[in-house]
Amino acid sequence: MSSARPRLAPETPKMVTAWDTATGRTVYMTPSREWSVNIADGAVLVGAAADDALAFAASDEGRATDPYVMQVSPLGEIDGREIIRETIRAVGPTNHPMFGKQAGNP
Amino acid sequence: MYRYDEFDEALVRERAAQFRGQVARRLSGALKEDAFKPLRLMNGVYLQLHAYMLRVAIPYGQLDPAKLRQLAMIADRYDKGYGHFTTRQNIQYNWIRLADMPDVLDALADVEMHAIQTSGNCIRNVTSDHLAGAAADEIEDPRPWCEIIRQWSTLHPEFSFLPRKFKIAVTAAETDRAAVRVHDIGLHIRRNGDGEIGFEVIVGGGQGRTPHVGVTIRDWIAKAELLSYLEAIMRVYNRFGRRDNKYKARIKILVNELGPEAFAEAVDTEYAAQGVHEAVLLPQGEIDRITEYFASPDLPERPARSVTFEAARAADPALDRWARVNLRRHRTPGYTSAYISLKSQGEAPGDMTGDQMRVAADIAEQFGFGDIRVAHEQDLVLPHLAIDDLPEVHRRLRDAGLAASNAGLASDLIACPGLDYCNLSNARSISVGNAIQAVFEDPEFEERVGPLHINISGCINACGHHHVGHIGVLGVDKKGEEYYQITFGGRADEKAAIGDIIGPALKGDDVAPALRRVIAAYLDLRKGPGEKFIDAYTRLGPAPFKEALYAVD
Ligand code: SF4
Repeated sequence: MSSARPRLAPETPKMVTAWDTATGRTVYMTPSREWSVNIADGAVLVGAAADDALAFAASDEGRATDPYVMQVSPLGEIDGREIIRETIRAVGPTNHPMFGKQAGNP
Repeated sequence: MYRYDEFDEALVRERAAQFRGQVARRLSGALKEDAFKPLRLMNGVYLQLHAYMLRVAIPYGQLDPAKLRQLAMIADRYDKGYGHFTTRQNIQYNWIRLADMPDVLDALADVEMHAIQTSGNCIRNVTSDHLAGAAADEIEDPRPWCEIIRQWSTLHPEFSFLPRKFKIAVTAAETDRAAVRVHDIGLHIRRNGDGEIGFEVIVGGGQGRTPHVGVTIRDWIAKAELLSYLEAIMRVYNRFGRRDNKYKARIKILVNELGPEAFAEAVDTEYAAQGVHEAVLLPQGEIDRITEYFASPDLPERPARSVTFEAARAADPALDRWARVNLRRHRTPGYTSAYISLKSQGEAPGDMTGDQMRVAADIAEQFGFGDIRVAHEQDLVLPHLAIDDLPEVHRRLRDAGLAASNAGLASDLIACPGLDYCNLSNARSISVGNAIQAVFEDPEFEERVGPLHINISGCINACGHHHVGHIGVLGVDKKGEEYYQITFGGRADEKAAIGDIIGPALKGDDVAPALRRVIAAYLDLRKGPGEKFIDAYTRLGPAPFKEALYAVD
C-alpha cells in the first residue's frame, strides 16, 4: 500500500522511500535493497528498475511500511514538487532542528 | 473527577494487552500493514512524516497531577521530551517507536488513561468548556454529561463503524467556549420556559473541506431523554450517511442534503420508534452518581479581594500583565481560573516539555486542588486558584517558561502540526504561526489590539480550526511552494460563523507582513478600544481589510 504521492514519469530519477516498520523513521532503499535512514545511501533509479525496486519494497513489509517513489536529481538530491515535504522527512522538523537527522539522530 | 470502576479498568487493560499482541505480530511480519492499520488506528496510532504518532484521549480535557506527571514521563522516556496538546483537548506524541507502544499504553492505563477512539470512524473524545465547574456564567457543570456520553459511546457496537468520524461537544455557559456549533453534535445546556435544565441539540456543524455551522434540531430536550435522542441521531446518520465518498460522509453533508427540517423529522421518527427495550435509560440515580465525581472542590472561604496579591501586582508589572490577560472570573469569591499559555513566542503552539508538565502538575497539586484542564485553544487551565496564591503560582510558571501573558490575544494562536510532522499536510503551520506571533512581540501592542483569534491549519482537514478563526490561515500547495489562504470573520463561539475567503493565497513569507497591515487598518478603523477585531470586521465587511491584506508595503 503506497502513499498517494505525485505520479512520476518513467525517465524521472527517483528513490524508493518508506517508514521503518519498528521505529517509523524515514528510510531509503539502497542499491543492495537494504534500508538506510540516510538519504545519501539511497539508490537513484529510473524506468523498470524503479518499478522493480518499489515492488520489492512493497513485499518487504516486515522491515519497511508504505513505500513509494520520490523524485530526486540524477545525483540523488531531493527534487520536484515535493521538495519541502521530502526535505523535512529527510532531515527532521524545521521547528526542532535538534530532533532531525542533521543533528545526528537516527 | 471521574474514577475508573472495575469495568473501565478491565477494558483498558485488556485492550492494551490485545494491542501488545497485534504489535508483536506486525513486527514479526505475521501481520501486514493493510491488516494492522485499522487496528493501530483504533488505538490512536498514526504513521506521520517522521515516526509513529500516538494520540492519547483526555476526556473533556480533564487532567490531574498524577495523569500529567505520567504524560511527562512518557514524553521523556518514549518521545523527545515533548507532548503536543491538540484542539480536541487530547495530547499527541510524535516520536514513539512502534515497539514501545504497548508499554506506553500500559503506562497510560496505570493512570486511568488510554488512546481508544482517538481515531477512526467512531465517536471521538467528547470535548467541553475548559472552565467547566469554575466559570461564573455556567448553568451547571457540563462534565458529568460528557462522561455519561463517553460511557454510552465507548466501544458502542452499533457506532464503531460510522460513515466517518464523529465529534460531540457540550457546554453549559452562555458564552460558548467549547465551539459546540462546529461539531457533528453540539449540546448546549439550557433552561426551558419552566426553568428546567436540559439540552439544546445542534447538529451538522463541522470544519474540514466543507465547513458548516450546525443547526438546532431540538430547542430543548430533558436530561433523561438525552442518550435515547442521541442514539436516534446516530442511527439516522449511520443509516443514511454517505459511505461512497469520504468527502461527503460527515453528518453535516447529510443534514445539508436532506435539509435540517427533514433531518430533524427523521430523528424524531427514529426516536418515536424506539421501543421500551431500545430506549437508553438514564435514571436520575445514575446521573447523580456520575455528577458526584465532579463535585466542586472544597474551597475555603476567602475575601473577594487579596491584599497580598494587590501589593505583589503593583510591584511587578509582569505579574500585573499576566493577571490582566490570563485570569478568568471564578464563581467563588477569592478564587480565579488561570490560563497556562502554551504559546510562547517562537515555540510550537500546544507543545509542552516533560519538565513543564511536572511544574504544572506540582502547581495544580499545591495550589489548584489537583485540577488541570486542556483548552481546545491548545493551552492548559488551572480552574481553581486562590487569588492569594497567584504571586507564587506566577513565579513558578515564569521560571518554567510558562507565563506567556497572551490568553485570548493574537499570539495565543491555534496551529496544527502542519508539514513539520503531519503526513497529510500541504504547508507548515508552526513556522507561519511563529512569524505571526512575532508581529505581536511587543506585549503592549498586543494588548492594545485586544482579543483576536488566529487559527492555522496545514491543510483543508482544518485541525487548526482555521475556518472559525477571526483570522484563518490555511496552508495550500502551489506547485511545490507553501502558500496560505487567508479568511476573515470566522468565529467559534455562540455566534459561530465560517470565515470569508478574502482572495488569492499569499506566499509564506508574505503572511505576517500582510497581517501586520490588516491589524494597522483595524486599529485605524475601529470605533474605539472596546470594538474587537471581529466586531469591526462584522460592521465594516471585508473591503478595507482585503485592501490592507494585499497592499504593497
Ligand atoms: S489540518 Fe491537515 S496538516 Fe494540520 S494536522 Fe490536520 S491533517 Fe495535518
